[in-house]
Order: sequence, then C-alpha cells, then structure tokens
Amino acid sequence: MRLAPGISGFVLGGLVALATPALAHHSFAMFDNSRSITIHGKVTQYQWTNPHAYLDIDAESPNGAITHYTLEMTSPNMLSRGGWSSRTIKTGDVVTAVVSPLRDGRKGGLLLEVTLPGGKHMLPGVPNAQNYKRTA
Amino acid sequence: MKRLLACAWLTAIAAPAMAEPDFTGTWERYPLSSSEPADPRYVAAPIPDPPLKPAYLSKYRDNQAKLASRLKEGQPAGDNYVHCIPDGMPAMMMGMFPMEIFQRPEQINITQEAFTQVRRVYMNQPLPHADEIDPSFYGRSVGHWEGDTLVLETTGIKQNVEFRWTPHSENMKITERLHLLAPDILQDAITVEDEYLAKPWTYSYSFRRMKDYKLQEYVCEDNREYVDDSGKQTLKLDGK
Repeated sequence: MRLAPGISGFVLGGLVALATPALAHHSFAMFDNSRSITIHGKVTQYQWTNPHAYLDIDAESPNGAITHYTLEMTSPNMLSRGGWSSRTIKTGDVVTAVVSPLRDGRKGGLLLEVTLPGGKHMLPGVPNAQNYKRTA
Repeated sequence: MKRLLACAWLTAIAAPAMAEPDFTGTWERYPLSSSEPADPRYVAAPIPDPPLKPAYLSKYRDNQAKLASRLKEGQPAGDNYVHCIPDGMPAMMMGMFPMEIFQRPEQINITQEAFTQVRRVYMNQPLPHADEIDPSFYGRSVGHWEGDTLVLETTGIKQNVEFRWTPHSENMKITERLHLLAPDILQDAITVEDEYLAKPWTYSYSFRRMKDYKLQEYVCEDNREYVDDSGKQTLKLDGK
C-alpha cells in the first residue's frame, strides 16, 4: 500500500507529494529502519492474511541455537500483485531473510527480502523500501 | 410502417445510452506511485487543505499538529486502517488498491479492493436529505449523466467517518464528476460542500484502466498491530 514509514494512507493529508495510491495502512514505525539483520533457518509458518501476511522462522545461529522470529509482510493483495502467492513459501522451507528488526528488541521485524530454497530472491514490496538501511 | 416506427422509437431511447461511456472495469490510481513517469495532462493536482470555517479550523489544525508529532515520533496516526475499519466516503475514492466499476443503466456499483468496500449509486433518483437516511460510512449515492460525464451525489456520511481528519456535519454533500480524460484514463473530480466549510473543497483523482486484473478479496482477518490510546503501536508476535 502506499505508505511512507510511519504514515498511513488515510492520513497523507499534508504529505501529498508522497501520495502514491497504494500505500498503506499501517505504520511501519515499530521497525528500526536504521539497521537490518539477516537470519537463516526453517520456516514454521507462512500466513497469508490481511491486513498483513506473516512469516515465522526458526533461525539458526552458528553455535546451533535456535531463535524464533515473527516477520511482518505487506498485504497479500500487494504481494499477489508483486508476483507472490500463498504457496511461494512452504512450512519447512529453509530460507534466508533480511529483516528490519523491531525497535523494542523482541524477536520480530519487517521482512525486506528473502531467498528461497531454490535460490530465488524475492522482494515483498515494502513501501519506500529504499528508506530501510541494509547493515547486515 | 408500424414496425419501422417501433424501430425508430427503440433507436431513440437506445441512443442516449450508447452515448454514455462505459466505465465498467477495473481501475488503479494514476500514476500508481510518485516515482512513476506520468503524462502531466492526466496527473491530478495535490489535494488542498479543506477550507474549513474558523470554528472548525482550530480543531483541524490541532489534529494535523497531533498527526505531525505522532509521525515524527514514528507512531501511527490512529486512523481507521490501524483498527481494521474501512475508509468510507470520500476517502475510499483515494483508491488505495484497485477498484472495480459495475455499470448498469439503473445502478452503478464501485468496489474498492482494500477492505472490500462497496458503494451503490442509484441512477436518476432524487438525493434524499441527510436527515432522511441513517448516517453511514458510504451514505446514500445517486447519479445521473450529463453528456459523457457521470455525476454522483452523496450524503449521509457519519461524522466519525473523516477524510484526512477533516470534521464535517451529517449534511455534508459530496458531488463527483467522472469522465474519461482518455480512453483508459478516468478522472473523478470531487466537490465537498458542508456547513463546516467556508467554500466548497475540490480535488480530483485520476485512474488508469487495468487490463485483465481480477479484484482480490480483502478480509481484515488477523490484525496484530495494537495501538493504545496514546497512539503507541505494538506488534503482537502471536497470531490468531
């Protein structure tokens, strides 16, 4: 949807210059766009729901520890228009995800990009994705 | 001869209908993003601030200030979407997602994919006064053709259904003039009239016809973003 981080589409009032129609909906302000983390692990759930899809991953660290992450995605409607489907990712798939982490430190974030088991690289269409720094 | 006359009569009543353009189909905002190169002839001007009367302007400005500070703090504004509530009118016509128009001589429906919103426009019927209908998100809409322009009039919008946090009375009337700027470019020129406004508030949107797009469903099924009274937003990590 058409959102700048922290701006909902409903509210674009004084921000017309940014107003591309399909933005958003919800604020992505919960996510720290000044840095990113990369996680690798097995998908435990890929949930195709509005207002957002979710990807849950058991991330493996080099020492073998498993940390569970819940990643927010955009709307299935936007994802679908961007070439995704409810079957793009399956439970059990081992994926690598680049994530804008939650500011509050809990194990979650906004999915910025993902590499699927076959090596296919997918972008989930985060509005104004260029505003999210890639640091790791 | 009788048959010829009957034919002529049929042609006569059919002719005006044929002169009206068919808006049936699927449309998306044009341009879709501010970064998309667009034909300047079809790009809508930025929406001006609502020309509210002084009595309402202070509340509006307070709201805009609150909004600006929340955005600065990185907090959501507390709008409908955050609570899984649809736009209503006139916000729905901003076309966050594609919209579909179904056009029949007696009724036109407009569906907005986001939140599966539907407007029903009854053609060639009088617009009731706002106090004759129950206030609602989409109000009552009637329409008629003026040449190749479809004119829609809407009233009966709930006072808590606001566009850009603009206060309005239940008597607010929204007049839209829809016409094709080009075969595949539709303009919706909107005029909002209300006793809260010093003069009518006018703005427009442009839409581009989509080829072979099928509207998707949108059910706000698992809203995990919780916003408290202060506007602070938290992501619930566990789903439904």
